[in-house]
Formats: sequence, C-alpha cells, structure tokens
Amino acid sequence: MMTEDFEPVTDTVEEQAPVEACTKCTACNTVCPVARNTEIFRGPKLLGPESERFRIPQEPSVVAGLDLCSGCKLCEVTCPSQVSIQTYIRRAQNKGARERGRTLRDFLLGHTRLLGTFGSLTAPLANLGNRNPLLRWFMERFVGIHRKRPLPRYQFLTFERWHRRHPRPVRARRKVAYFYGCWVNYNERRLGEMVVAILERNGIEVVVPRQQCCGIPAVVNSNTDLARKYGVQNVRLLAPLAGEMDIVASSTSCGLMLKHDYSHLLDIPGAEPLGARTYDICEYLWMLHEAKELDLDFQPVPMRVLYHAPCHLKSHGIGYPAMRLLRLVPGVKVEEVDEGCCGISGTFGVKVEKYDLSMKIGSRLFAAVKAAGSDAVLADCETCRMQVEHGAGASSAHPVEILARAYGYR
Amino acid sequence: MKTDLAVVGGGLAALTAARAIQRSDREVVLVWPGLSSLYFLYATIDVLGYADAGAAEPVDDPGAAVAGLIKDQPSHPYARAGRPALEGGTKMLLEWLREAGLVWEGTLARNVLLPTATGTPKPSCLVPASMAAGDLRRADPIVLCGFHGYQDFAPELAAANLRRSWRTGNQVSAIRIAAPGFDADRLFTSIDLARSFEDRGFRAEVANRMRRQISGDGVRVGLPAVLGLTRAEEVYADFETALGYPVFEIPTVPPSVAALRLFDRLRKHLQETGVELFWNAPAHAATVTEGRCTRILLKSAGREQPIEARAYVLALEDWVDGALRAGVHLVRDPFFGRVIAEHAVPSQRTAESIFGVQPYAQLGYPVTDRLQPADETGRPLADNVFVAGGAIAGYDPSGTKSRGGMAIATGYRAAMEAMAAA
Repeated sequence: MMTEDFEPVTDTVEEQAPVEACTKCTACNTVCPVARNTEIFRGPKLLGPESERFRIPQEPSVVAGLDLCSGCKLCEVTCPSQVSIQTYIRRAQNKGARERGRTLRDFLLGHTRLLGTFGSLTAPLANLGNRNPLLRWFMERFVGIHRKRPLPRYQFLTFERWHRRHPRPVRARRKVAYFYGCWVNYNERRLGEMVVAILERNGIEVVVPRQQCCGIPAVVNSNTDLARKYGVQNVRLLAPLAGEMDIVASSTSCGLMLKHDYSHLLDIPGAEPLGARTYDICEYLWMLHEAKELDLDFQPVPMRVLYHAPCHLKSHGIGYPAMRLLRLVPGVKVEEVDEGCCGISGTFGVKVEKYDLSMKIGSRLFAAVKAAGSDAVLADCETCRMQVEHGAGASSAHPVEILARAYGYR
Repeated sequence: MKTDLAVVGGGLAALTAARAIQRSDREVVLVWPGLSSLYFLYATIDVLGYADAGAAEPVDDPGAAVAGLIKDQPSHPYARAGRPALEGGTKMLLEWLREAGLVWEGTLARNVLLPTATGTPKPSCLVPASMAAGDLRRADPIVLCGFHGYQDFAPELAAANLRRSWRTGNQVSAIRIAAPGFDADRLFTSIDLARSFEDRGFRAEVANRMRRQISGDGVRVGLPAVLGLTRAEEVYADFETALGYPVFEIPTVPPSVAALRLFDRLRKHLQETGVELFWNAPAHAATVTEGRCTRILLKSAGREQPIEARAYVLALEDWVDGALRAGVHLVRDPFFGRVIAEHAVPSQRTAESIFGVQPYAQLGYPVTDRLQPADETGRPLADNVFVAGGAIAGYDPSGTKSRGGMAIATGYRAAMEAMAAA
C-alpha cells in the first residue's frame, strides 16, 4: 500500500484556498446582491480571483468597479471551493486607495471611534444636526453622505462609562469577556446592558476589557491598513484574556472580524487563538443551553417577530442560533424572512452614490417584511436593523432583546 | 450543536433526505457545502438514461429498466436502495416540487429525450414543464434561438449537431437576435438575461424580434434556459403567449438558471418548514467511537464546530463537493480518513477519450445493504451513518444518466434508515 502521497495544492490548505482553486463556476456571481441589481458591477469572480492573477504589487492598481463591492461576503459563503474572494477584493481596494489618497468621507466612516467620541460628547446637538435638512444637504454635497439615510443617534452616556459604575455580581461561576463594539458603546448602550443582564442572570461575570474598534468599518472603506492597526491593538488587548475566558460579541460583523478576518484577511500574528475563543452572543447562549446552564425561567413574551439572518451571520457558519433561542421563549412566534441581503452593508448604503442601489438590493426584503406584518424584525447586525427600519418602516431589535424581556428586564 | 439528525450536502440527494426527515416531523439540520452539486449537476432529473455507461440506445422506460437492473445486479446502488425507495422518493419529490411552486412533469414509466446546449440528445425522466416541448421524439420542426454576445449557447452549433446526430430527421434551424439593452461586445450571462426576462417589456420586445425571423407553421422554439429566475412559471407562460409558438428551454452550463430555480425554491421551502441550514460550514470529518459516529466537524469561522446528531446522512456528490479527495496516487474519503483507491499513475483514473467510460466516475464510498459506509470486508464503519447520492461507489451517474434517480432513491432510503437509527 502506498502511504506516501502528494496532495494537490488545493487540498493541503485548510481554509485559505489559492487563486487557482477557483474553478470559474460563477456560483459567486449568481448570489452577489450587487451584481443582481446593477449591470455595471462585474461581479466577485472577475474582481476577485480572475483579476488577482493580473495584480502586480509594484504596479499601479486598476480599481475600476471595485468600490461597488459591498463586502457582504455572500460570494465566499457560496463558493464551493472556499476561495478567499473577499481577501483579493479588499486588499486591491486598499492598495488603490493608498495610491490615490483616501477621501474625507471614507476616512470618517472608517474611524467610528472618532465619530463616536465626538457624537456622544455632543450628543443632543449631533442628533439634531443629523436630522437637520440643511445640514444634511451640506453633508451630501461636501462629504458624500446621502441625505435620505437616517444616521444613528448618539448617546451621551457610553457603554464603557455605564459599565464602570455597574456593580459586579457577588458570585459567578465563570467569567466571559464582552466585545461590545462601537455601536453598543456610542449608539445602543441598552443592548450592551441587556447582554450583561442576560449573562449575569446565568451566573456569568461580564468582564469588559479595553478594546479598539474591530476594524470592519475601515475594511469596507478601502482601508485594510487601518483595520490591521486596530486588529493588532485588539489582539494585544484581548489575546491574554482569551487564555482564561471566552469572548462574546453582540455585533455579527465585529465577531466575524475577531473570529476570522484578523487571521485570514489581515494576517495578524497571534489572532487565531483569539478567534477560536470568540463567540457570537446567541451562539454562546445556545452553547450554555446545550450544557444545561441556561436559565429557562422565562416569562411569556407574546410577540410575532420576523427574523432576518444578516449576511455576515451566514459567514460565521453557525446556523441560526438566534432562531433556536427564540423558540425557547413562551409566547414568541418567530418566522424567518428569507429575502437575502438587506442592502446596507455597514456604511455602503450611507454613501450618496450607493444609497439608491442599497435600497434596490433591499427592496425584496422590505416588501416581504411589509407583506408579512410583525411586531418587530429581529436581526443580529445593527446596520441590518437600521436598513429594515428605514426601508420597511418596521421596528427592529437584536434577538437578545426578546430574551432580556423574557427574563423580566425593562 | 446537538440535533436529532444531520444531513450533509447541497445536492438533490441531500435535499430529498432533508425533506423526507422534515416531513416526518423530526429535527434535522442541513450542512451545506456551498453552491455546488445541485448547481452543477441538476437542471433535469435523470433516472436511468442508458443501461450502462457505454450503451448506444437510450432507455425508454426508466422504471422498468431500473427494476431489471436491480434483478441482474444485486450490488448496484439502485438495488441496495431498492425500488420502493425510488418510487416513494419520486412521489414525495413530485409533490414537494408542486408545494414549493415549481411546475415539473414526468413519470418513472417514460423518458423524454431533450436537446442539450450543444445539440446532443439526452434522456431525462422528470423535467421542468418549460423544457418538455423540447422532446426530440416529437416530429415538429425546431427553431433554436440564441442571443448575440451570449456565449453559453450557440444555436447554429446545437442545430448542426442535432441534424447530424438525431436520426428522426427533425428539421432544426437556428436564429439569433440581439437581446434588447444588451451590448453584444460586453460579457453577459444567463443570470443577466434571466433577470431581464422578468421585465414584461423586455419579454415582449424579445418575442417581437424573434417572430420576425421565424417562418413556417407548426414550429416550436427552443432557447437557452433564461426565462426568469424567481418568477419563472409566470415568465414562461407569458412569453409563450407573446411569441405565439410553443417554447422550450435548454439548460445551460453554469451559471445554470434552471438549476438555480430548483435549488432556491427547495432550499427556501426546507427552511420555511423548519430545517436549519448551516451556511458556510463545510463538513469534512467524522468521529467514530465504538462503531457509532458521535460527531461531524464543520469548518466554521474561527474554529471547527462539531455537530452531534443521533444519525447522519452523508449526501455528497463525489468530487465537486468534497466527498472524495484525490492526491497523485491516492483517492481518499475525508470523513472516515480511508483510502478509497490507489493508482500507480493518475492516468489510470481516466479513459483515453474524454467521452469514454471513465474509471474515476465509479469511485466512491462502498456501502452496505442499508447504505452505511462499508469497510473492505463489507461491514459498516458506523452504524448510524448512511450514504446517499453520487458519493456511493459502483456506478457512473453521468455516463448512465442516473444521477437524479439515484439521488432520490438513496436520499430517501438513507433518510428512512437514519430516522430508524436515531
């Protein structure tokens, strides 16, 4: 028997397949929400692995059409050969932006902590300004933020400061570190409070370590250089903790950065052990349930809700933990609304030249949400929630909000 | 994650197994390897097109031919799955297609002979209603229509091949039109066309342009399968009325709109009826302890994720979705880590002619009479794992045009066995 064998290249690489692994099957193009909605986008196959063959590091980049990729990652989710389509596109975008210079808008949208600090310090004013038509006209004209896109509200009390004053539980059977992300810190502190309440209810002490922005806003604004800088900081701050406890994230995309993109897209040394201990909050709670450690003493929550699975949640490869959890709560009627990408893709749908496309991509979802009717649309991702509220006029919530209510949290 | 039953795969065998389990109100997760087997391999469902891979004459009555094959070859996968599984699975599938809103035709008692995109006749059993009028056994003349700039269907080539290869003397002619709004110098695909066909104005204009080139009464018109993606039934009926001739679609190479319609609807219907789908988490290994599989491992973001089920259906389609992996000398099964075949030189796997009977096509997992993966002595490697679809050894799904029927029969049987074992 021959025991020694030469494996072909594509078989030895566990997750990151080389460009040659692309068989040109075009599966990615068929699911790409941008390619499905505009003819001018050439699709992930051409802009990813096919163009990659012609990209030479020392030569100027050709970036035509690249910025229309929204970064939803459905191409990678669909690829039967596990080709890193997004890695090729993101790195090429970054190189192009480095050569041409970055725009003010993309700089701002990539620096969420800067925006967040400013926004929360000036919260009432900033929120007024974001709703002022004249100011929005200026922002559209001179910054490139579409005036019809509702911007997130900032809150004066950040999650970081709230948590510093939050009393520690007396007894806890274990600790978990919480990656709350910029959204919870500056815009939706209540979500972070609910995550803490749910975990504490289950006998878990929530450690809130110092942290930097996960970097996804920088990635999708053609700046993997900045994202890498943030990632390196996060690995330095969080990797020591990962030796002792699990890390949970309540934002789908933050979690995906920590789990996967730090090591794969950004090549950050030491990121893999951090990724291996990072969990999406619903994934983590379901794990507790399977270990018979989740408190099931729920009050009924009589609500009919729709669940929209964010594209980046599909990329996690963990199934639908939020749907499973929601089915444990008495009174909740949950149905999936399965109409693909919502279209906003983080900051993509905020931009003046992409707003209409983003709304067109989401139109199928909006129509389905309106037709189904519900008390709320649930989505794990904050920008999906913004888009559903804006496009379908529905109210929205993170799935853990239902659990928090079932535990009597007000 | 823990579950009652897990099905691994994204092709017809996997979907059939998941449906059979869901219909029995059992908990099931579907572990999806990416858009692969269904998208590459299924636009029609072929039960048995040729009695063996080298046969010249197509089979007329696939149900009877399978019954004969089961009698003559007791170790053939069809014999192991059994005729009741083929019949029960086919009945279930046809009902399911209807329930999911897909209009299909066919019975196990008859094959139709449909033209492929290159103009060869292919025997199929169950077909979308939009393809049925392409049956080459009918005598009415055919006009094949392509689009300038669309590269995946050349009507002149298909017409020439059909005239040459198909002996009933069908009159076949070819025309081409410019698709309204498409630049022939720019690359476009069947997906782009299919999306445009969902627009009523586009359909009407295409019908106008085609009618101007079609002459003669009693002809039927064949065009690549691009008549709508999400509302295909409506698009087809409307377009046929607008054109005024019977219309049939011809499936194309990927991106195959016909396969996407099938996959999108069935996948969605499974999710609506409570099947949990694991996206982006290809399964690649199984852990067996004391003759039972305790978990399979998925590659999810950040780490390997175990799925612990009471029983498993491995419904993969050989090379395209990772059921088999080939090195230079060895072919392995990644789930159980076995060597399936070894070759002194890789060319032993292939026939001299690309159209010859291919040895690699027969490679796969040896199975027991209950479709469990078997070791060299024929004993099961795991009591609670059942194999379905193209990954089963000992038949050539492409050469005999039996991939669909085998997927249905083995998917259905494996689901029944898995439910009994769980």
